[in-house]
Amino acid sequence: MRHILGHLRNACIALLLAPSVAFANGLPTPTGEVLLAIDGAITVTNDGDRAIFDRDMLAALGPVTVETTTVWTEGVQTFTGVPLARLMAAVGATGDSLTARAINDYAISIPSEDWIEGGPIVAYLNNGAAMPLREKGPLWIVYPYDSEPRFQTEVIFSRSIWQLDRLTVDN
Amino acid sequence: MERSDGSPRVPRSRFGRWLPVAGLCICVGIVAASSWIVLRKIRELSTANTDNLQWTLSQGDVEFLRFRVGLEQARLSTERLDDLRRRFDIFYSRMMTFGNGRILAPLRARAGFGEHWSQVLGFLASTAPLIDASDEALARALPRLSAAAEEVDANVRALTLLGLSTFAEESDDLRTRVVETLVMMTFVLALLVASLVLFALKYRKLASVADDRAAEVQIKAARKRTIVETSLDAIIVTDFDGRVRSCNTVAARMFGHCAEGLADRDLAELIAPEGEADALRAGPLAFLAAGRDPGEDETRFEITVADNEGRTFPAEVSINRADPGRDPIVVAYLRDISLRKEAEAELRGARDRALAGEKAKAEFLAIASHEMRTPLNGMLGTMELMRDGALDPRQRELLERMQASGGILLDLANDVLDLARLESGKLVAERQPFSVTELVESVLETTEPIAKTTGNEVSWSWTGPPRDHVTGDLRRLRQVLLNFVGNALKFTENGNIRIEAALGRDGGDEVEFSVTDTGIGIDRDDLGRVFNDFETLDSSYARRSEGAGLGLGIAKRLAGLMDGSIGAESAPGQGSRFWIRLPLPAAEGLAEDTRGSVLTARPEGEPLDLLVVEDNELNRFILRGFLERAGHRVTEASDGRSGVALAQTHGFDAILMDVSMPVMDGMEASRAIRRDRGASASAPIIGVTAHALPEETKRFRDSGMTACLGKPVDRSALLAMLETVTAHHNVPSETSSEGGTPPLLDPAILAELADVLQGDDSIVQKLVDDAGRDVSRFVGMDPSDPDLPRIAHRCAGMVGNFGLAALSRSLLDIERICKVGGTPDPAALQALGPLWSESRDALVTHLGLVPRPASNERAPGSAAAKSPPRDEGPISPA
Repeated sequence: MRHILGHLRNACIALLLAPSVAFANGLPTPTGEVLLAIDGAITVTNDGDRAIFDRDMLAALGPVTVETTTVWTEGVQTFTGVPLARLMAAVGATGDSLTARAINDYAISIPSEDWIEGGPIVAYLNNGAAMPLREKGPLWIVYPYDSEPRFQTEVIFSRSIWQLDRLTVDN
Repeated sequence: MERSDGSPRVPRSRFGRWLPVAGLCICVGIVAASSWIVLRKIRELSTANTDNLQWTLSQGDVEFLRFRVGLEQARLSTERLDDLRRRFDIFYSRMMTFGNGRILAPLRARAGFGEHWSQVLGFLASTAPLIDASDEALARALPRLSAAAEEVDANVRALTLLGLSTFAEESDDLRTRVVETLVMMTFVLALLVASLVLFALKYRKLASVADDRAAEVQIKAARKRTIVETSLDAIIVTDFDGRVRSCNTVAARMFGHCAEGLADRDLAELIAPEGEADALRAGPLAFLAAGRDPGEDETRFEITVADNEGRTFPAEVSINRADPGRDPIVVAYLRDISLRKEAEAELRGARDRALAGEKAKAEFLAIASHEMRTPLNGMLGTMELMRDGALDPRQRELLERMQASGGILLDLANDVLDLARLESGKLVAERQPFSVTELVESVLETTEPIAKTTGNEVSWSWTGPPRDHVTGDLRRLRQVLLNFVGNALKFTENGNIRIEAALGRDGGDEVEFSVTDTGIGIDRDDLGRVFNDFETLDSSYARRSEGAGLGLGIAKRLAGLMDGSIGAESAPGQGSRFWIRLPLPAAEGLAEDTRGSVLTARPEGEPLDLLVVEDNELNRFILRGFLERAGHRVTEASDGRSGVALAQTHGFDAILMDVSMPVMDGMEASRAIRRDRGASASAPIIGVTAHALPEETKRFRDSGMTACLGKPVDRSALLAMLETVTAHHNVPSETSSEGGTPPLLDPAILAELADVLQGDDSIVQKLVDDAGRDVSRFVGMDPSDPDLPRIAHRCAGMVGNFGLAALSRSLLDIERICKVGGTPDPAALQALGPLWSESRDALVTHLGLVPRPASNERAPGSAAAKSPPRDEGPISPA
């Protein structure tokens, strides 16, 4: 039941968001360096059964900016990126969780309950600058930790994967 | 009633009510505060300030090792240079987290961290340019990098280990805090449980109290029910509209077959006899419809009710509203009082019969005594007359004995009559001014003969300041004193009897008279009984007493009648003291020279021409005897009408008028004599009556009588009275219009007038003008003119002020006649003219500085009616 609802909701979000995103008629082919590859249970692809994104394509998905502190940095940080929900909508994700992988092969599962507005974003800018590998780049899933105590648990911290480069939507 | 167990429940219940509340508040406060603290702790624990530290720390090691592996692989194959670069970046990133991450701040604060950290930073700083350089340069630098990495390996390891030990402590700390929190939670829970237990206990206790109360209430209710059920009265409970709610068995039996059968019926409908319910509702039960509480007189009443079998009976109803808030009721008690009513009626009948019997007896006594007195008087009077005749000594002695016995018999009859009168309650005390000295001296005088025979000395005096002129009932006080002195004389031989008068100590009106003797005295036990009726003590006192034993009983009643009190003190052999205390206020204006006229006979004066109107031949005979002995002329009439006829034609000096007579009674006759303006219209009339009550006396006076004389007629009193009335008659007073002829001018007034006028005769002139005008109006005026009395009064005052005494008197006579409803004689009006002329001339002459001697005053011609021709001889009836 929850499953069906989850699907339904995701479909609704996809429908709602679809007109607002830049890729109404499928994903374009990336022109710059590919930062992120999404595979698994998705309906929109641009590289075989994968959807791949360069920085411009991510920026075209309607980025948001989040201000928060993190336990891994000092002081208030500004992160700019695509809300995970919107990204999942863009690729027509139908699963109820996804597995995020980092360049160092760190992997963590994020349930679809987290793909919500006000939830985590896939950040590509930290304090307005692109993040090199040495500074946890190029992509970092950041939750708005300061906004709610529920984002200050070790589970959430473990889902805050940096040096992200792959997402697999699980069925 | 609820607190009959006497326990001080009120204060305890107040504390009992607030203590748990306060306790509850405190507990809730403590629990809330503790819970808040615990929640904060839990929240602290729930937000992770640490990532998976062990992972982060060990990952530092792992990523360094992977970097070193990458180095070695790159030295073997340049293909792996990019992989090396990525591994370096990852390690670099990890180390930056070590250097900046908030979660690792405790690690950075540890001693020894700085040393290792600076080594690692140095390695990173020196390596980064090489990594960023071209493949060739990097390939060349690989051996050097390997060596450097080897060198810094220990530092990285040391940092990791330092981190592990740091966070092991942190973890311990955290555990401790968790434990503390749990302990605190336990405490809070314990507190909570304790308070819950406390409240549970408290409520159990309250519940048990409530149970007890409920049981108590049930018992009381049962008891009340029993009380209601066992009541002999019917008890009906209704609502405020009078609809029956419930009733006891008596009510059910009385008004219906069962209690249920009565429910919801209207109270008035239920209890009232057929067709009288509305009257009951509008009457005694009106408060129900009015929706108010019954008034004081509405809570208890007697009505006639009807039971279910239609029997009507009187019932006493006690009804009231009880308003205990939610459930307002009316409670009515009905008691069948038919038996009581019957008993009451029977008693009342018995009492009425008894009273009627008593009254009849008293009336009989009174009538018998009264009827006895008339022949007794006749006998005594005859004896008195016999004594004046020629008797030999033997006859005289016998006559005296007869007289003495007759006197005692008369006294007895008088006593019984007095008693009967006093008992009838019709008597009231008279109020007349008199002199105490005169009174007491007359008592002494009366008792002197007896005192002489018993060898007693009787004296009197005032004790303390005297008050001689007082107002009171002379006759009755005299009777009491005579009784006291008489008793004293009876029981004292060759002793002293002392009458003392004294004012009350409180300075009020009270006067005490006491009679003290040196006689045989009275036993203390008997002393209380001497004032009882018919009390003849079984002692020497009693044996020596004569008469019916009524004297002191009467005295006591007389004292009561005069608002006084009476008493006696005595001891056997010590003599007795009898006293009476009564209010005798000082009298106003009792002139010195009028004393004595009441009580003592004056020397016989001028022979008078008298009319005796009396139906009883014997009485007439006695009176005639008394009067003729005194040298007066007597004319007799046997009833009122013939008396009036005689008075009409003959001017008597005084008339003795019996009050109760056939044909025309004394009052009627007096009125006729006054009204008819006959020859004796202004003669003094003395009423002779046996029942001279004060109010009657007033009626007699109103009828025209001048004075009253009690029957039986005492010779000296009769003669004194005659002297008094004729003397008064001849000295005109201001208020009396009868009698004498005033002088034309009053020289005393004229003398005063002369002082005032000081020779100014204009005022006199005005009088002459005004009075002349008025008098000329009288002459020829219709005698029935309603203005007549007013003008007469005004004119009389005016001329009176100028000393025209005769004219003033004539005018006042006219006014008086008008006022009593009569019509003045036109001749009298006519006569005013010449009288005025004479008076005026006299006045003018008097004031005209030619004073004339008093002999010039002459009788006014107008007073024709006042100087009737006098027949020379008595007119005797055939």
